[in-house]
Amino acid sequence: MPIRVLMAKPGLDGHDRGAKVVARALRDAGMEVVYTGLRQSPEQIVHAAIQEDVNFIGLSCLSGAHNSLFPKVVQLLKSEGAEDIVVFGGGVIPAGDIPGLVDAGIEAVFTPGTSLEEIVAFVKERVNRQNA
Amino acid sequence: MPSSWQRQLAKSITRIENMEIDALAEMAQLPLDNSSIHVIGVTGPPGGGKSTLCSQLIQRLAKEHKVAALLVDPSSPYSGGAILGDRIRMQALGANPNVYIRSLSNRGHTGGVSSSVVSILRTIMSYGFDYCIIETIGAGQSEVKIASIADTTLVVAVPNLGDDIQAFKSGILEIADIFVLNKADLPGVDLLYAALRESAQKQQDGWTTPLCQTVAIEGSGIDELLASVHMHRQWLNEEGRLVEKRKQAAKFEIIELSSFMLQHHLDQVPADILATHLTRGEFNLLQRLDEVYRELIISLGEV
Repeated sequence: MPIRVLMAKPGLDGHDRGAKVVARALRDAGMEVVYTGLRQSPEQIVHAAIQEDVNFIGLSCLSGAHNSLFPKVVQLLKSEGAEDIVVFGGGVIPAGDIPGLVDAGIEAVFTPGTSLEEIVAFVKERVNRQNA
Repeated sequence: MPSSWQRQLAKSITRIENMEIDALAEMAQLPLDNSSIHVIGVTGPPGGGKSTLCSQLIQRLAKEHKVAALLVDPSSPYSGGAILGDRIRMQALGANPNVYIRSLSNRGHTGGVSSSVVSILRTIMSYGFDYCIIETIGAGQSEVKIASIADTTLVVAVPNLGDDIQAFKSGILEIADIFVLNKADLPGVDLLYAALRESAQKQQDGWTTPLCQTVAIEGSGIDELLASVHMHRQWLNEEGRLVEKRKQAAKFEIIELSSFMLQHHLDQVPADILATHLTRGEFNLLQRLDEVYRELIISLGEV
């Protein structure tokens, strides 16, 4: 059954080429990817994720706001009873920030230079773990 | 934030989309002839403004009503995956608790929608929505299945995609209950209007296809379009036309479910062995199918 992923751009960052490249790679791996466009709030992202019943949310942020916005998404998912949705992130994220994000519930962070194969593999392997 | 009933609905839709047998069995009990909902189909060429138009319609209707929207995008012919991008045009609707929006892949179905769409409609109807808007994929001339599913079908046309001969051809232009001439601020809209009026507008059984001009991105022409939509619904309410429409939707579902069931069972047969027999001409599949279906129809006649 197709894996459903929401690719989202939280915050005011206006660059979505990266998000689109990842979306296409996931599509090419047989997944259904909902892309909701630029300048989304964490509330809008979680709202869409629930209506779309996605398995994953991919958050892309290039403006440096990841430390506040990414954990907010995870928190909102929890308060809505949707913590089964797996969150991963990418963008301009300093290596030093990654442990904090992982602690806050972002399961993987893919910084520039990550291969698309790696991202696809993460999603597929995570689904297998969920089903097991 | 969407309330828990929205989460429940979302999960039901997923199970139906994935053709889970128990989910399909549950929804078969839900009626399609619910007369308190109006199902509006929106179709037209890619880039014609369907999503923007749908967003405007939803916004107006959701001021006083509960509105659901099913937005269909095509799947990849190579991977089976899909980019579902209609929701982008609907960002303004995010916070409205009266609105439920769901993006669907057509999963290879060639009619413009997905094969489970009528089954999904049964579930939507059971949640008390006043309207359900179904947006097809960017459609070509022969993607016409939406007309068998929706109560009112809007065909969106835009200027400069062809001349009067295009308007004269068969297919998608014939299924319109209402024509929407979107991007009506572009030059060429008068030619489009004339071509549709001359070659595509129909008068049938007391309904003449209205030609509504809109500039969806600005929100103009939307109130007039909604007035035509409501008039069509009133026309459907007469002479039992609405029930006939819902029967057509049920017929679409029959074909889709049959096809799915056949595939489901065939998947369990060692396909290789069956294929070998068929290639060698050792097995008359057609005769077997004929026997099986004849038995099925007789038993259905006894329902």
